[in-house]
This record gives sequence, structure tokens and C-alpha cells, in this order.
Amino acid sequence: MEVRVEAVSKVWNVAGAAPVTALDTVHHRFPSGRFSCLLGPSGCGKSTLAQIVGGLETPSTGRISIFDPVNGRGAAPGAASIMMWQGLNLFPWRSVIDNVAFGLEVAGIGRAERHERARAMLATVGLNGFDKHLPRQLSGGMRQRVALARALIMERPILLMDEPFAALDAQTKIVMQEELLRIFEASRKTVLFVTHAIDEAILLGDEIVVMTARPGRIKEVIPIELPRPRSFELVNTKEFGALFQHVFHLIRDEVTKAMREATAEHAA
Amino acid sequence: MTTRRRLAELVLPALSIIGFVALWQAVVVLRGIPPIYLPAPSAIAAALVQMARDGSLWTNLAATILRIFAGFAVAALGGVALGLLMGRSRIVAQIADPWLAALYPLPKISLIPLMIIWLGTGETYNIVMSAISAFFPIVLSTYAGVQQVDHGPVLAARDLGASPRQIQTKVILPAAVPHIFNGLQLGMGVTIILVVAAEMIGGSDQTGMGYLLINAGQVMDTDKVFASLAVMAVVGAVIMKLQRFIDRKAAPWAVHAGPRQD
Repeated sequence: MEVRVEAVSKVWNVAGAAPVTALDTVHHRFPSGRFSCLLGPSGCGKSTLAQIVGGLETPSTGRISIFDPVNGRGAAPGAASIMMWQGLNLFPWRSVIDNVAFGLEVAGIGRAERHERARAMLATVGLNGFDKHLPRQLSGGMRQRVALARALIMERPILLMDEPFAALDAQTKIVMQEELLRIFEASRKTVLFVTHAIDEAILLGDEIVVMTARPGRIKEVIPIELPRPRSFELVNTKEFGALFQHVFHLIRDEVTKAMREATAEHAA
Repeated sequence: MTTRRRLAELVLPALSIIGFVALWQAVVVLRGIPPIYLPAPSAIAAALVQMARDGSLWTNLAATILRIFAGFAVAALGGVALGLLMGRSRIVAQIADPWLAALYPLPKISLIPLMIIWLGTGETYNIVMSAISAFFPIVLSTYAGVQQVDHGPVLAARDLGASPRQIQTKVILPAAVPHIFNGLQLGMGVTIILVVAAEMIGGSDQTGMGYLLINAGQVMDTDKVFASLAVMAVVGAVIMKLQRFIDRKAAPWAVHAGPRQD
């Protein structure tokens, strides 16, 4: 599924304060079956853009069109995508298997079938034997796998990921990134991956959409033409280093600008 | 936990009670305090045994416990239902709000005269007093629980295709369960108080621990008064512990959070 973002703006109206422009006339074409990373400082509207594509927020102006580039068939925002959240948003009262099977349960699929499919999906993300556990009994990395399985079981062609690995320790993060690479390279979904980590964006993405802060605009789109399948060893290559330098310089201006604004706001 | 600490946790409370009772017995016997003011623990125990033998303890205890649970059940059903409804509909919340704000802080014991005028002093009166007292903490806790539900899981459920109704039953209700249980515990506590008070003041059928207590007090049966108090203290403690145990079984995610130790 291809996602076209056409002149999308999002303005937050806060009572008693000046309206905040989270996104300012953003245009982009997220190609089908490609892994796109949205990279930028906090407050650049990258999460908002992902939520608008996922039908969880409505744009103030502009439109989103989602369609199959082969047969041209369209889909409403939200119908063809599933979100993996920054805070995971697991259901703490549900066991691992019932968390994963939630989407199937609300769709009316019987218990035996949905548990079987959930178990298979848990195996795919590398989490066997924890079906009956509650989320709080799992480590951070295991919870990530549950959230990933809960999203993947929906079999939607578009996967939206909002900084899913931000809270993980460095080693677990690498393991999860490689896991995601493996799953993406096997499934070839359209992925929109929100992150503020440059190395993560290069390692995972086919392209990096660099965004500016306040108002959120697209500053530059950088294609990442590193061969797949990829693994973490890529980080040590010369090409990776050169891309990192390039993206870093783009981002640095934005981060210092955002910091200057934050300091000015704080002083005022 | 070390075995030594665990032992201390069992032994020290027991020693505390035994020591206190022994001291009490010694003071009463050595100082010759008249039993009408302060009977010795041995006399209280004898009174308790006698009450158990003649059956008065069991019939009255059963009557009180039945009233507690009958009223509590009504309050729990009504309170949770109204609390959920208030959380779901702003209109219901706004209609209910002034009544809850006015009636919640009102000491429910002050309703006893009115209830006796309306209902007489029979079983209905006892159960209604019990239900009224438990109702308010249950409604308010349920409503607070629904309002405080995390937005994240609600959004996730919507994204996973849940209908508004499914979000209510599969996300908001279970997420509010810890608050609801909290309200049920508060409600149980006040129900116990109010049932005994209602039995003391009204209670034409002359049953219940409250009746037993006030009756013994009027004829200066001080050992019976103490025996009744001891029984009620134990019953209250058992009910509260039992409730906490059920809560833990029914909502294991809500209590003792933290990583598992195995």
C-alpha cells in the first residue's frame, strides 16, 4: 500500500494560548513495501504525522490517500494500517496471548482459532512459552515483542511505529532492531517508523524523512541505498558512517534551533 | 525474606495480644476491680462460651452478617452500575453530581430517624441502612476509576478495531477494576459500622450483634459487652482480609506490581 500525504497541516488549538502548528503543509509519498523513517527533534510533529496516516488524528487541512499501486484500490486511513505505540499501550489485565489476540477477539474470531494464531505470531516474534504471563511479569524487550505481535497479527499492509524502541536498553534495542529487519524483509509491508535516533533510522530505513521542528516540515528526504538483508554489522561500514555524518549535520541545526526556542520560552 | 523475619512477623503480634490479656487479667485480679467496670479476660471468655452454648451468639451473629452482605450486595450492584454510567455519559454525571456531593459527606447514621419513620424497624430498615452507607463510596470510586483510565490502551483498542461498546467492556471496565475494588472495600467498612448502629437504635425484631451489645449494656452485663465487641472485631477483620484476598485473586495485575521474583 502506498501512502500519499498531500498538503497536510495540523494545528493544535490550546485554550488560552496561541495555536501550535504541529505540521505545516507536508507533502510526501511513502512508497509501497518500503521502510520510511521519520526523523527529527521532539516536537517536529513526526508522531502526529504517523497518527494522521493511521486515522487516529484528523488533519486540519490537506489529505491522506492510501491505495494499492498495483490495482489502484484505495483504503481509508486506519483501515489498512496498524500502530505500534511508543508506550506500547498493552492491556495490563490481559495475559500475553490475550493481548496479542485482542484484535481478532473484537473482530469476533473464536477463542481456539485466535489463540492458535496468536501463539504462531508470538513464535514469529521470538516469544515462546509466556502465553499466560501478564505484561508486568515480562522484561521491557519481551513486552516489545508482545506489542509487535499484537500489531502484526492484524495483517495490515501498513505498519506505523512510533519510537517503539526508545525506552529499551542498548543491547535489547539492537536485538529488536534486527528482529524488525528480519520481519520487514520477509513481509515487505509499508513501514512508517518514527524515531529520533539517527543510527536507528539508517540501519532500518529505505529512506529517511528529516523533519524540522515548529512548525513541522520536511527538510530533506535521504534515500538509504544500503543492501538488504541488513544486520547490525552495517553500523561499522564506511557507507554507514558517511550517511550518519550527513544526517547528523542536517539534524544538528534543527536540534539547536529547537533548544534555543525552548530556552527562550523558558526564560519568557 | 529470612525465616527469622518471618518468624518475628508471626510471633510478635501473637505475643502482643497474649501479653496484653495477661496484664489485663493480672491487674483486674490483683487490684480487685469490680467486674461491672472491667471484667477479667477469663470472665469474658466464660461469657463468650455461655453465649455460644445457648445459641444467642450464633443467631445474632448470623443476623448481622446477613444484613451486612444483603445491603452490601445491593449497594455494590447499584453503585458500580451508576458509577459506570456516570463515566460513560456526561449527562448522567451532571445529573448525579449534586446529589452525590450533598449526600456523600452526610453522616449516614443521621438518616436512622428518617428511615425508622419510613420503614419501621424491621429487616428492610436494617438492610436499607446498610445499602445506603456502602453505596456512596462505591459510586464515587467507580466513577473516579472510569475517569482515570489511561488514554493509551483506549487508543490502541480503537486502532485494533474495537467498537465503542467493546472499548467500554474490554478496556475501560477492566482498567477501572482496581478503583472499583477500592470502593467496595471502603463500602464494606462503613456497612459494618452502620448495620451495628442500626441494630442498636432500631431493630424491633431484637436480633443482631448491635442489639446484643446494647441489651447487655443496659443490664450492666459488662462481660457480655466485651464478648460481643471481641466477636465483632474478629468478624470485621476476617471480612476485610477476605475481601483483600478476593481482590488479589480477581485482579492480580492491580496489586503488588513489580517484576516477578522467579
